[in-house]
Amino acid sequence: MLSVPKEKIIESLVEMLGEENVVTDEQVLKDSSVDRFRRFEEIHGYYTQPLPAAVVYVHNKEEVASLLKYAGDNRINVVPRTGDSATEGGLETAVENSIVVDGSGMNQIVSIDPYNMLATCQCGVPLQTLEDQLREQGYTTGHSPQSKPLAQMGGLVATRSIGQFSTLYGGIEDMVVGLEAVFPNGEIAWIKSVPRRAAGPDIRHVVIGNEGALCYITEVTVKIHKFMPENNYLLGYTLDNMKTGFEILREIMVSGYKPSVARLYDVEDGAQHFSHFAEGKCVLILMAEGPKPLAEATGKAMEEIVEQYEECEKVEPRLIQVWFDNLNWDVSKVAEEREEIYATKNISNTTEVSATWDKIYDIYKVCVERIRNEIPDITLIGGHSSHSYLNGTNMYFVYFYNVVDCSPKEEISKYHLPIKKIIVEETIKAGGSMCHHHGVGKHRSAWIKDEYGSSYYILETLKRAFDPEGIMNKGTIYPDK
Amino acid sequence: MPGSDWAADDHFRVETGYVKTMLNPYDESALELTLKYADQLKKADRAFHLTAITVDGKQADTHLKTLAALRFDKIVRMENSYDLRFMPEVIAAALATFARESEKADLVVMGCQGGVGDNAKTPLLVAENLGWSCITQVTAIEPPGAAAEKYLKVISAVDGGVLEQTVTPPMVLSVGNAPGTYLRVPTLKDKVEHGKKPVELLDINEFVIGSVMEEASQNLRLKGLAPVSHQRESRVIEGENPAQKAKSLYESYLKRRLK
Repeated sequence: MLSVPKEKIIESLVEMLGEENVVTDEQVLKDSSVDRFRRFEEIHGYYTQPLPAAVVYVHNKEEVASLLKYAGDNRINVVPRTGDSATEGGLETAVENSIVVDGSGMNQIVSIDPYNMLATCQCGVPLQTLEDQLREQGYTTGHSPQSKPLAQMGGLVATRSIGQFSTLYGGIEDMVVGLEAVFPNGEIAWIKSVPRRAAGPDIRHVVIGNEGALCYITEVTVKIHKFMPENNYLLGYTLDNMKTGFEILREIMVSGYKPSVARLYDVEDGAQHFSHFAEGKCVLILMAEGPKPLAEATGKAMEEIVEQYEECEKVEPRLIQVWFDNLNWDVSKVAEEREEIYATKNISNTTEVSATWDKIYDIYKVCVERIRNEIPDITLIGGHSSHSYLNGTNMYFVYFYNVVDCSPKEEISKYHLPIKKIIVEETIKAGGSMCHHHGVGKHRSAWIKDEYGSSYYILETLKRAFDPEGIMNKGTIYPDK
Repeated sequence: MPGSDWAADDHFRVETGYVKTMLNPYDESALELTLKYADQLKKADRAFHLTAITVDGKQADTHLKTLAALRFDKIVRMENSYDLRFMPEVIAAALATFARESEKADLVVMGCQGGVGDNAKTPLLVAENLGWSCITQVTAIEPPGAAAEKYLKVISAVDGGVLEQTVTPPMVLSVGNAPGTYLRVPTLKDKVEHGKKPVELLDINEFVIGSVMEEASQNLRLKGLAPVSHQRESRVIEGENPAQKAKSLYESYLKRRLK
């Protein structure tokens, strides 16, 4: 990187975007140097990452293009951001005097096209806003990540996010039809929206999941679906073993059924949500949705499958309805969590992986056992499977620990990373993927070559081709050399 | 909670069986303050014995097990088959008898308000039953120092300020809004080593004399339940553009208030 003085960077940014769009307030810079990965440090007033030179607000693709061109010419690190709800360090500024490029001002829903079932919006449209507007008209994106009230469309696509109804609607990669992105040389690329194409490789996937390490997403077009919540067919069961639960999920998927929700909680994670009816039990939740005949047929077929397993006990849907209605985290929940972490020094984090059906239970078992035995001060280790596929499923590990006998600055090295290391290494060793839907960020990039194996050549070449100066979100996906 | 989200049964009970139970925030604060106080006693190498008691059904056992894991020496649940809503006198009498006769306690720390209809009276009634003093709105409890072992420092919120008192137990402390008192979380190791302690079950009838129950039940009869209305008065300001709306707001509302 060239070392352009901070004052000079700010001066150039003000010239490009106007003073009102360039923020250099110290607290804003500190807050913008981290994401949720470092919230324990941040809640206690510690900021350990290099501070950015400025946070800038962009309002159109041309501004993004000239900004990236300027950063490229001067080799200044850029961290793209929209909803600021990242969890894996993807928004950390690994390089001093980076520019945090905030697209939350690009918040226009460009079009909703119910005839072709498409919605186009700028990168800063909150998913909640899009979803609310669609639902008013009887449609939905089908996308419902926990961060729905906070996350914005650009970030959701950039991190390859997934939602709670993914088993039917798919992840964001199944939803994006077309998009627009700006590359570090200032090139603006628009991928048109068509139902399918066979004109060479699907280049949408260069952009989807790039985590700001290759380009800046400015606009996305996603599929929309008819919204028919009145037909939801919700089922809940308690059972004794995760192994049985995985078998049931597999049977449902390989039989060809498409539930929207297929979630399996272990005893520990389940106790957080379902202690009023499932003490000491695993919990299986299934939901079918869509047109009434289809939802009913899917629901009944799933009931028949589960009934074959004697250890499963059906529970009244209303016992899980309240949980179901509160799946998403809004600003107030985040604020409440901060207060609680500060008071108790107890913090929760998660790591999500995926693997084929024959491997997932073993990964779950060995990770839980190792974390329980090897990591100090653990107050909860468990998890759930929440996204199933024909070939396998994910495992979302949830872990809480008390941070004791160390400075808040040491929380990550004492607890979080050793836990992540166990999960990532055991998963890769078993042949699974270390990242299911949170992205690589900066804290799993150390294992990216192990994740990809010989195909790392393709990933590495993308970086060389699109970001030869290495100015895009240094340390994210690609390890900082 | 909107009226459409809940319904009362024939006995005016709001069904809550379909939601996860949690400690009420006052009890949570009382428990954490007690544990913080115990930490300090331990540091000063002073002896203490912690008992946690609740008058509740089996659903409270999850919380009691957590308290066992957090090193409460004894966890007790007082069972009862009566409808004790609006009868804090009965609960207070039972707790007072338990504190005095079973535990020989010298400090009772309670959340200011718990069950339906206790109206924050239970801690005061416990103190009255025991003949002890009661401090309300407690926010912290501290030992005043090794030199004065029999005293204790109690900090409480009062109108317009904070009151710090050095007091001599026995006494009852009622905990209200105490900031930063989320209950700590036991580790898995704590749960394995201490959380398996059985919940001691007691029958409330053995702690309350029949006349108290009879008298309390005649004091008050629940005749109905209705949601509290939190609606605010509002009016939509009409206008074709922001300037017109601002003018309308000024003319119809602000003007007369600015004079």
